[in-house]
Amino acid sequence: MDAFTLTLWILRLAFVALIYVFFFVVARALWRDLRAVVVGGGQALARLVVVGGPEGGPKAGTSYQLDAVNTIGRDVNNSVVIDDTYVSAEHAVLTFRGRSWFVEDNDSTNGTWVNGQRVSTYLPVGYGDELQIGRLRMRLERVAPP
Amino acid sequence: MIAVQRGLWRAGIRPRLRLRELGLLLLAGLTLAVGWASLQSFRAGELDMADLTLLAVYLATVAGVHVVLVVSGRRIDQVLLPTAGLLGGVSLLLMERLPQNLAAQSFGGTLLPLGPLQTLWLVVGFVVLGAVAVLVRSDGWLRRYKYTWAALGIGLLLLVFIFGESVGGQRLTLRIGPVAGQPSELLKVILVVFLAGYLAENRALLTMTSTTIGPLRLPPLAYLLPMLAMWGIALAVVIIQRDLGAALLFFLVFLALLYVATRRASFVLLGLLLFVAGGAVLYQFFPHVRVRVDIWLNPFADPLGAGYQIVRALYAYGRGGIIGTGLGAGLPQVGQVPAIPAIHTDFVFAALAEEMGMLGGLAVLGLYLVIAERGLRIAASTTDDFRALLAVGLTLVVVIQAAVIAGGNLRVVPLTGITLPLVSYGGSSLLVNCGIIGLLMALSDRGVEPPPLRDSRPSRFGWLRRRAAARGAAR
Repeated sequence: MDAFTLTLWILRLAFVALIYVFFFVVARALWRDLRAVVVGGGQALARLVVVGGPEGGPKAGTSYQLDAVNTIGRDVNNSVVIDDTYVSAEHAVLTFRGRSWFVEDNDSTNGTWVNGQRVSTYLPVGYGDELQIGRLRMRLERVAPP
Repeated sequence: MIAVQRGLWRAGIRPRLRLRELGLLLLAGLTLAVGWASLQSFRAGELDMADLTLLAVYLATVAGVHVVLVVSGRRIDQVLLPTAGLLGGVSLLLMERLPQNLAAQSFGGTLLPLGPLQTLWLVVGFVVLGAVAVLVRSDGWLRRYKYTWAALGIGLLLLVFIFGESVGGQRLTLRIGPVAGQPSELLKVILVVFLAGYLAENRALLTMTSTTIGPLRLPPLAYLLPMLAMWGIALAVVIIQRDLGAALLFFLVFLALLYVATRRASFVLLGLLLFVAGGAVLYQFFPHVRVRVDIWLNPFADPLGAGYQIVRALYAYGRGGIIGTGLGAGLPQVGQVPAIPAIHTDFVFAALAEEMGMLGGLAVLGLYLVIAERGLRIAASTTDDFRALLAVGLTLVVVIQAAVIAGGNLRVVPLTGITLPLVSYGGSSLLVNCGIIGLLMALSDRGVEPPPLRDSRPSRFGWLRRRAAARGAAR
């Protein structure tokens, strides 16, 4: 085998090998992205865990991470978006003030309920209380400290 | 340096480095250069790069798109451009390598053979990709006019049906003046836009159960009708046009989107049953469908007639083996034509797998997996249903098409005449697929980075900033 044939052979294998290098570099970058998303998810004040709701909606056990001020409704600009026709576009606001949570109803069509009691203006919500928005029932839960 | 940056900021331009994209692009460029050297050295019989113009023009275009993205400062996905760039580059190498007389078109007196012609389309395609990625900011124009889009798509198909030209038994090409195009390429994007819009709007209604047939729970039938009608019309016209590949692609994308929107496995099951029933009927009544299935089951029954291309492709894989013959060394010609007539369009995967081997073929299929991962991730990170469904649909159009034609080439599924996205020769296909990648990048856009917060603590370079501010005030 002369030098040129060898060079050609190396070039040809290097071409395919480089595509694999590209593939693995991309795969590593994507893997890192995925881990960053999983790891960086924390630091929420509390969360809303779905207890029950209409068929086809979020499954029981789904949770929404909460900040200090959370708007709840069907509109995509809310911090907790519930895609259900029984939920108003801007349905309610859930806020953390001082030491406890309060939920305020924004004149929604079907109302906001805390433990079966309809919210007329606003009501305090404790951890473990059940919040009903439209047909979706959710429980406010403390986030376990890291 | 600081003055330049201040000037740019004042003009409203905030460049943002895209280091990951730059790194991947350099790697892709190196890969293509090595491939080019391998091809040209084999041709010359000595170490040679020959005329580098085509590769240089292509790489410069991709680099130009990168620069435009950097200058725009928007936080757009950084993996899609290098991946599409590498696929396009592989296409360029293959088209440069194949017999140049397979396709030719003259522009203003100069006749462009296959290689330069494909380079031209790639350049136009990547310009479209960059323009769509940077300029498309809002999706309102896609979302709001979904029925208009659907009507436009059907109109386009009717136009082809009436005025189209027949090429090889398929009536696909529409010629306006010197430019010929295949509208069914555009139709797949229009279909995805319509389905995404319709499903996003009526998702809740479609998951309701009102009709029950045995174990199947169906939504109110009225809400399924527009979709079924759209699907039926597209399918019927496509079958009349004898474009089986497009019909298969439409159907699979339709089922996948329906599943993504409703999370109902029963729809998929029903769709597959319909598919089997439809396939059986088509097999009975349409001879061209029967031929396709028969040559898939046994290509050696008629190795010089209907099964010719598949048999030749199977031989090609055998010659290629695991590491391939090397660029330029495979693909024997019969007389003046290549052994596989459609080697530059439908059978480009056979050319690829012969000269780059099984390893090369798998690597290229891996690149489509990268596009799939990125597209689905973009869909998962969007904030509303329409954008999510649109991203899923666009991704699946590219990936399913690649799977269907690669499978057809490899005799895994019946062969259908569609292109391998971004690799096959063909202007319409390249433009549309580049547009799809551009649209995916636009959907991944997280806007311009907010300006950095003012730091109240004195920084180590405070004196520098103060001096710059003083100079600015003096001027």
